[in-house]
Amino acid sequence: MYFKKECIAMLLAGGQGSRLYDLTKHTAKPAVSFGGKYRIIDFPLSNCINSGIDTVGVLTQYQPLALNEYIGNGAPWDLDRSRGGLSVLPPYQGNKHSDWYKGTANAIYQNLNFIRQYHPDYVLILSGDHIYKMDYSAMLAAHKKNNARCTVATITVPMQEASRFGICNTNPDGSIYEFEEKPKKPKNNQASMGIYIFNTETLVEYLEKDEADPTSQNDFGKNIIPSLLASGERLFSYPFSGYWKDVGTISSLWEANMDLLGEESILRQGDRDFRIYSRNTARPPQFVGDSAIIRNSMISEGTSVDGIVVNSILSGGVLVESGAEIHESVIMSDVHIGEGAKIYYAIIDSDVVIEPGAVVGSPDADRDHITVIAQGTHVACKKEEVRK
Amino acid sequence: MSTAGIIFSNLNNNTLSLLTADRTVAAIPFACRYRLIDFALSNMIHANISEISVVTNYNYRSLVDHIGSGKDWDLARRRGGISLISPFQSATPTQRPEVYKTHLEALQAMKENIARMSADEIVMSDCEYICNIDLRTMIERHRISGADMTILTIPCRPDWTSDGARLLLSRDKEGYVTGGGVCREAVESFPYISIDIFILGREFLLRMLSDAEAAGYTSLSRDIICRHFARYNFRMEVYDGYVASVSNFNDYFSESIRLTGNTALRTALLGNDTRPILTNVHNSAPVAYREGCCVRSAMIADDCVIEGTVENSILFRGVKVGRGSVVKNCILFGNTYVGENSTLNCVVADKSVCIGDGRVLSGHITMPMYIPKNRKV
Repeated sequence: MYFKKECIAMLLAGGQGSRLYDLTKHTAKPAVSFGGKYRIIDFPLSNCINSGIDTVGVLTQYQPLALNEYIGNGAPWDLDRSRGGLSVLPPYQGNKHSDWYKGTANAIYQNLNFIRQYHPDYVLILSGDHIYKMDYSAMLAAHKKNNARCTVATITVPMQEASRFGICNTNPDGSIYEFEEKPKKPKNNQASMGIYIFNTETLVEYLEKDEADPTSQNDFGKNIIPSLLASGERLFSYPFSGYWKDVGTISSLWEANMDLLGEESILRQGDRDFRIYSRNTARPPQFVGDSAIIRNSMISEGTSVDGIVVNSILSGGVLVESGAEIHESVIMSDVHIGEGAKIYYAIIDSDVVIEPGAVVGSPDADRDHITVIAQGTHVACKKEEVRK
Repeated sequence: MSTAGIIFSNLNNNTLSLLTADRTVAAIPFACRYRLIDFALSNMIHANISEISVVTNYNYRSLVDHIGSGKDWDLARRRGGISLISPFQSATPTQRPEVYKTHLEALQAMKENIARMSADEIVMSDCEYICNIDLRTMIERHRISGADMTILTIPCRPDWTSDGARLLLSRDKEGYVTGGGVCREAVESFPYISIDIFILGREFLLRMLSDAEAAGYTSLSRDIICRHFARYNFRMEVYDGYVASVSNFNDYFSESIRLTGNTALRTALLGNDTRPILTNVHNSAPVAYREGCCVRSAMIADDCVIEGTVENSILFRGVKVGRGSVVKNCILFGNTYVGENSTLNCVVADKSVCIGDGRVLSGHITMPMYIPKNRKV
């Protein structure tokens, strides 16, 4: 049977996310909770379906249990299709040799046969650790218009942070003449978002070349893109101007959550047409009790609040008893916060119990001093110091 | 042994006319993010019933929208699943089409569907009595009893019988029905009210339908249950859990507001971990509580944005309450917009109502004010 898709997406979801410490001890980074009812991977998956891409390969490797269960057959994102749809692609045992995914490029290389099944003209490479809403079909249109071999999505970052990113130096027509991975002295502030569209034959050619090079780190940013440039291929930048946030660290994950609280929240932008989908757990509606005080916060289904919640994000099934206070924090699902407990500047993972009167974090903390409580922890009534 | 379900979406006497002007009873929004049919559907699903027919006659557009393919209830199946039964008119009508009005007429009309079902037993349910009930145990007990039909009842609540006719019953020590009547008010000799959930064998149902057709009966409760309880073998189960009845607008309002003030009722109805109430999924963002909001005793659904004060109220999905506005004892359906500095008390706003800035609207607990769909105030 011959299936033809114009463009398919490959979503790299195998990274460990070690800078999220306890939050990724038992789950891959894309499965980390975000914004109350979402997981990080909801954003790229929803972007795909909202952009008309209905075939997505999700490459998993590190701690895939929670991630696999979460994505299932892709039904929450309308990706349960009989032609295409969502496929989970873990490393596998081959005929001659078997290997873990050695790098982002090697992960795609090992799944070239998956790509070939669909005879796509274009392949979109995504990663599962960014929060953003983006219409990939507009990027694909630009890629075709430029007659490019590869297009790299870029975003303007503050100049002082530019040295943390892969920086694209472009000609006036948008073509890239130089790509610098984490340069000490960046020439501009157009950072790669880790989103690439390749012509399929170009992708195959350079992945095979890269695989043959034993010194390569098999990484898109470090090897593939520089190699394309060195060969003089048509490489273009696609400047993106919406909200985009890397959530690879505790500080940035906390900050991205806090960004949802403003009137400009990404979740409420063009919501009807560009919704972020997530797996639904059929919880009852949230209830706000008699003694609750809630200020500038976001609260999800199944949560019951009798205490004080200020500038915080609460996931589903959380119980905040009376007198408890939550300030500037992110509380994941099914956390029980006892009477009079106080929480400041913290990320509390799911199924944690905070005993009555316990204090987590400090009111004087800031974005660089966020307290993280690991999944299932029981916090007794004395000050907990788990600073990360 | 398998069981199929039949849900009647609006065959009762219509006393909820405000809310059913353009929807069926089954599609009336209730408890923040559900519609009445969700309770009947969820009760069946949690009893492993995966073949469900929903009988409709009028105004079923919003119900069709709500159910979709049945996916959100895991009812988009190859075997069984959900099917909508609507009145049928042939292309070359030989006589004027008749839309069924009673349960019995509807069952007669879908006799062929029933004959084709593979289930041994059938659970029939209405949508006006709202409960979260363990049907699995009830079905088990029905099987063991060997009765022709089990009728679920609750002890009479005098405040209920004032409006519309209800099926009242009496029973003997073994639980078999010993008499009944369709009454408008409480009758001492019939101390139980049927909550219109019936469990019966499929073969028995077909036989009963043939008998009824031959005798020209039109009503299940009046002609069969009340008159022929002795001929058949009818037993009843008396349920002691929470049942809300919303057969008229005032009941609908007071039962809803009661939920905001009573944690035990709310938990019994919605908070059961093993039997959650399933409804259709909208994928909307969590509730945003903005600076300056003040919320007490409120049930709030996703996608709401709250900048004002909300007390003892139920807000459905996508409601916006603007700065300085006060909403008390209200039920605001999906996408209600309340501007700035408005005051609402005892108001039921139907879907997509828009209330401007500085408006003052008030009903009373005993006489809530209703604002129809899409209206601008």
